[in-house]
Amino acid sequence: MSVKRIQAVILQELFITKRSLEVIMDLFFFSIMSVFVFGLVSSFLSKTMVAQSAYYLFLGMILWEVVRVTQYSISVGALWNVWSRNLSNMFITPLTLQEYLVAQMISGFVKAFVIFIIISVIAAAVFNFNVLSIGILNLALHFLNLTVFGWSIGIIILGFIFRFGTRIQALAWGLVFIFQPLTAAFFPLDILPSALQQFASLFPATHVFEAARANLTNPAVRWGEAGIALLENAAYLIFSLWFFGMMFRKSRESGQFAKMEG
Amino acid sequence: MEELILQADHLVKNFGSFRVLDGISFSVPKGKIIGLLGPNGAGKTTTINILVGVTLQDGGTVKYFGKDFAKHRESCLQRINFTSSFNTLQGRISVAENLLVFARLYGVRNPQKKILELVRHFEIEDLLPHRFWDLSSGQKTRVNLVKSLINDPEIILMDEPTASLDPDIADKTLSLIEQLKKKRGLSLLYTSHNMQEITRICDEVIFLDAGKIVAHDTPLGLTKQVRVAQLQLAFEGSRETVERYLLSENQKFSFLHDYLVLIDTEEKLVPKIISQISEQGVEVTDIDIKKPTLEDIFLQIARGNYVS
Repeated sequence: MSVKRIQAVILQELFITKRSLEVIMDLFFFSIMSVFVFGLVSSFLSKTMVAQSAYYLFLGMILWEVVRVTQYSISVGALWNVWSRNLSNMFITPLTLQEYLVAQMISGFVKAFVIFIIISVIAAAVFNFNVLSIGILNLALHFLNLTVFGWSIGIIILGFIFRFGTRIQALAWGLVFIFQPLTAAFFPLDILPSALQQFASLFPATHVFEAARANLTNPAVRWGEAGIALLENAAYLIFSLWFFGMMFRKSRESGQFAKMEG
Repeated sequence: MEELILQADHLVKNFGSFRVLDGISFSVPKGKIIGLLGPNGAGKTTTINILVGVTLQDGGTVKYFGKDFAKHRESCLQRINFTSSFNTLQGRISVAENLLVFARLYGVRNPQKKILELVRHFEIEDLLPHRFWDLSSGQKTRVNLVKSLINDPEIILMDEPTASLDPDIADKTLSLIEQLKKKRGLSLLYTSHNMQEITRICDEVIFLDAGKIVAHDTPLGLTKQVRVAQLQLAFEGSRETVERYLLSENQKFSFLHDYLVLIDTEEKLVPKIISQISEQGVEVTDIDIKKPTLEDIFLQIARGNYVS
């Protein structure tokens, strides 16, 4: 694996991000607007209902952005090159699939981290909600688990895009929102119907959100939930990498990869 | 013995039940330019896509520098490059940024210096700060060519690289290719629909049709395979006499004027026809013989009339 080639892909990502209003809108603007909307709703709810519910909602929203931004960065990062008919050009260099994915994962992590810091500062400064109140170690564990979950979803969607082309590109923006209710991002897990609760526990993010809500009142690390989330994440990541490799091979076999364009 | 840069052996590719490539084999020796020609749908683009690894073949092997491409992908791609009028660079970022990304993907030492050297040669230094998608198609093609030379490749696969260039830049591009071939022993696999270009720069030409190689020779050798010629005669004398003679010889002809006849005949019969028309009491005042060109071969293949 070549560090220089990984740097080259990250450099391209940086160039695209700074020159694309769409990326700035989709990532920064959307996240900042969300924190204001959810902050105001939470303020309202805390005055009229149980304050705890309002904090669940606000914390859920801030953590959810980690999944959304990471997944978006990976899936849409490839689409910029598909739309420019440049993706196959990049793979006619010594760049390997592993290097490309590592670069996209690093890029997703950095974007999610920067946005997380920005919205956390806004939450603290404007709405007096300090995410650090759940504990720095908890926050780091939650951030890590949600990032890996975002990577996995992003890589699976990327696999579909490589295999089927731009006709399913809407998945890059839309599919992740299926997981918003399924992982109980904004409400306790027991709100879901019992059958869905079992299903929801198959997703690492569900355990993260449950643990984070518990951390609002007790900052002790919930190793059980963190461990399950880490194990599930490992399984998801391995599956997503295998799935992506298979989709990439099928795309090259069918000729789809060569003719992929925007 | 010639050093082979690229060897394609028995390449087979099916898309569903449709066989696009039917066991084609060819090689590109060091310092040679091989033209890959054929009508639309002949399998040229699929061949190129397999050779650069973006499409997987169903059968056969590709070797660069004697190494199996499937097993040594990275080291092979480090020494080759590709340009096509159908692929472009990243549209949202500048030319300089695009070239820098590719220089780094190839691990070029001192990328800024290399980029400047190439853009100056192609006279596109002023384009460096511009976004790629703001360029004209001719400018894009030149930037693509710079990209294709950024790693000092030993072989470049070029898919219609001059398709959108004006004649001056197209000529400069061809001159550069000729220089690179001469100075550095650069090899090229070159597809184009411009037969004059192919005749000018290619050492050998491969004609593909329906996934098979139907002809493979030098441009001159290929034109020699076609033994027909078009003979245009201007004459003073009786049109009926000329017509009667040509009919008696079973020649295909048409009169452009009463004094001008166009005859499609075998190349070897040209002297006999001229001499025998003169013997009929008709004075031949002008002779124009049109020899077959690569374009004639191309048209014969495209229309299914070619017999090697």
